[in-house]
Amino acid sequence: MEQPPRQITAIQAAATLTSTNIGVGVLALPLFTVQAANSGAPLVTLLGFLLAFVGFVPLVLLGMRFPSQSFVQYSEAIIGKWPSWIGSACVIAFFAVLTAFTSREFGEVVITAVLTRTPVEVTVIVMLLLAAISTRKDITTFAYIHHFYFPLLLVPVLLIGALSLKNADVINLLPIWGNQPTFMLEGILTTAALFEGSFVIAVVIPAMKRPDYALKANFWGMLVGGALYVMIVVATVSVFGAEETSNLLWPTLELAKATSLPANVLERLDAAFLAVWVTTVFTTLLSSYFLTVTELQKLFRQREHKMFSLFMLPFVFFIAMLPQNISQMYATIKIVGRIGLIVTIVYPTLLLVIAIIRNKRGEHADAQQMGKND
Amino acid sequence: MRRIRQRNGKPNSESTGAEVADQGLANIGDERISGNVEETIARIREKLGENDDFTMRRFQVFGRYPAAMFYFSSMIDQAIVNRDILKPLMYMPAYLEDKPIEQDRLKSVLLDESLHHSEGKSEDRLAKLIGGIVRGQTIVAVEGLDAAIVVNTRDVDKRSIDTPATEQVIRGPREGFIEILNTNIALLRYRLQTSDLRVRSMEIGRKTASKVAVCYIDGVTNSDLVKEVQKRLSNIDIDAVLDAGYLEQFIEDNHISPFPQVQYTERPDKVVANLLEGRVAILVDGSPLALVVPTVFSQFYQSVEDYTERFLLMSAVRLARFVALIFSLVFPSLYVAIISYNPELIPTEFAVAVAGGRAGVPFPAVIEVLLIEISMEVLREATIRLPQQVGGALSIVGVLVVGQAAVAAGFASPITVVIIALTTIGSFATPAFNVALALRLLRFPLIIMAGIFGLYGVMIGLILIANHLLALQSFGVPYLSPLIPSDYQGLKDLLVRGPLWWMSKRPEFLYPRDKTRVSPDTMAQIKSPPDKVLNPANQSEKER
Repeated sequence: MEQPPRQITAIQAAATLTSTNIGVGVLALPLFTVQAANSGAPLVTLLGFLLAFVGFVPLVLLGMRFPSQSFVQYSEAIIGKWPSWIGSACVIAFFAVLTAFTSREFGEVVITAVLTRTPVEVTVIVMLLLAAISTRKDITTFAYIHHFYFPLLLVPVLLIGALSLKNADVINLLPIWGNQPTFMLEGILTTAALFEGSFVIAVVIPAMKRPDYALKANFWGMLVGGALYVMIVVATVSVFGAEETSNLLWPTLELAKATSLPANVLERLDAAFLAVWVTTVFTTLLSSYFLTVTELQKLFRQREHKMFSLFMLPFVFFIAMLPQNISQMYATIKIVGRIGLIVTIVYPTLLLVIAIIRNKRGEHADAQQMGKND
Repeated sequence: MRRIRQRNGKPNSESTGAEVADQGLANIGDERISGNVEETIARIREKLGENDDFTMRRFQVFGRYPAAMFYFSSMIDQAIVNRDILKPLMYMPAYLEDKPIEQDRLKSVLLDESLHHSEGKSEDRLAKLIGGIVRGQTIVAVEGLDAAIVVNTRDVDKRSIDTPATEQVIRGPREGFIEILNTNIALLRYRLQTSDLRVRSMEIGRKTASKVAVCYIDGVTNSDLVKEVQKRLSNIDIDAVLDAGYLEQFIEDNHISPFPQVQYTERPDKVVANLLEGRVAILVDGSPLALVVPTVFSQFYQSVEDYTERFLLMSAVRLARFVALIFSLVFPSLYVAIISYNPELIPTEFAVAVAGGRAGVPFPAVIEVLLIEISMEVLREATIRLPQQVGGALSIVGVLVVGQAAVAAGFASPITVVIIALTTIGSFATPAFNVALALRLLRFPLIIMAGIFGLYGVMIGLILIANHLLALQSFGVPYLSPLIPSDYQGLKDLLVRGPLWWMSKRPEFLYPRDKTRVSPDTMAQIKSPPDKVLNPANQSEKER
């Protein structure tokens, strides 16, 4: 099989991670964490982030151990053909489901907040089509896309964070560990589940110019994402207070509604915020969809991943339409997220342990490059 | 350079592109002329004799050897033919008089001793001779010589070098290319007086046999790029190349993208600047526009003026140009989205004013904007076609009167007219006509998306456009470089124009061979404090 050109830089890889992690989940994040530990929400977010931060290290180490192979390929090398086939199929299925629910969640946000008379099917299929068309491009373009939209993700979050300082009250954040937190662990797991997109690093590493920078890229990419998460939760809870936040479906969106630009340039920010947020949701969708189709291509040993893009669309759309309403959707997302943690964190960790025990190691990237030049 | 197809008009599989098929010449094949003048005359007359401007003149070389001269009277300089060919061939040089000239020496005597023209050579293949006549060369066939003498006497009228019509600058050279290739190459050569400038030419077009010149700087331009350009050009087999634009459509990477991947310019100084960055320029005989490859998006809002004026000011101007570019794409669709879906975004007082203006308009905002946009496109196209004398008058009538009347008639709201006018003017601020055209076209789908999905639709449309741009390449160079993928040297010349001494290296994304632009010594000198020679303190000290 032809290897993709090694063109992706560490910065592009880091940007890919951050923009994958920041997505539609951020809109409901303060609600989940406040439900878990009321005023301790920032702490829950931080802990959830740390869990994911540590949890994805084995995957990156695995990728660096097999720098020129994709996840499907090296898991086969580690645990043999059929067990790895099942594992990889689970990963692919999980990301197909994740793609579906991301698009559904955003579809719901759009029809609730701006396009109230549009059926949810339309907004979902539009987002899915957009992602499907974009996954037909190669991995280099994929990284370029993430790199390009990276500033678009930073600006609205930082802007809203800064503008909400006007209404913020530190008292809302105390006590830091929350008032008798009951579902702390659950909240941590829910937050960690929002970082599951980081799995995309497994696709990026084989195309990186210097795979040995993957850990560094992972560190910075996750750190920026985590910092933004904590910032959003701090801003929301400090403005609304834990009690009020738990009554809001998408507290981050409400935060955007509550802030306005100085000098009244734009009277309300929520529609503009949502419009810009389309790009960040798109990058998240793109990552999980791209992961699904490229790993499918590897699994079925096809030359091109393009045909899977449109082939998967009906399935993903069908899954997205399964939940009957928003509350059912969020209940499903929570369960899927828990399963996802096993698939994206526990399974790669196991693989790494087995790889170390069996002393399996991939071809070194430089050696392969030199072989190519001969 | 020119080789004639050997097999009957069939494309030659090993053709290197310099080859041109000419049906009239195809059946001649490799035929050579004999020493018999009458036979040569008959053969050439058979091919070209039906033209009234074809001239054949018989004379006697040195008064002894019968000869014939052929040319197209419309394409040659009569004075040169008379003075430099006919006269020296008729009069024998004084030192040769009374000496018999052997048959085998005659050719060298004629070419090396008699002919008063620097571009003369001997040629024996009939196809080449006829091809030469068609190009404006003069052929002299002499009895007893198995090769004819070919002299370049071409003289085609040309317009004078003029100010570039479409790329005017306030500060910078005033010369623009003209149609004649040689003049254009001269315009490049005198700006780049280095032995490293390479001009490689080939002929493309079965009928037009247009001369195409590929220019690059040896040691700067990546040699792989030069090879690829020549490969793509040589693969073109078309009957006519009437302008550089014909070639552009064959050598670009993505043929269906609305975005141009090749830049054209009529400014020699712009071509030279691009050559010095490591690009390749393609010039075509008969076209006043040079093509420059590879092209990245940022080139389309840059102007030569950016580099001749002070960097701070021109950075601001470039930013303004960039804003105009973005505006010309998204302004109408944003307006439609906000008016139709999110009027709460704009301040209340303004929203009320907008609603008041729209009160009498029967259509939804999207229809209204589309209608005005389309009429604006019609107006713009009409103003280009109109004769210059009425163009100005009509554009005033069209824009002012019709716009005013449309508002008064309740056909459009005043704010719509303002928005469309701003958009149109914004698209004219873009220096590159072809990219302005692309954005003009993409505006329409965006407006429709805005009408259907509001801001959400505009974003979807913009994401699609951005993704397309990110996937686009020109000769393998990503279209959005140096932004994505980032290139530090290139970023200095992206949105702002860095000072010349700061941009000390050529842009990395073109992989130039020689990277240095400004020498480190100059950099050091610029950083050291200037000598204040005429400072009163220094001068008064000297006087003392």
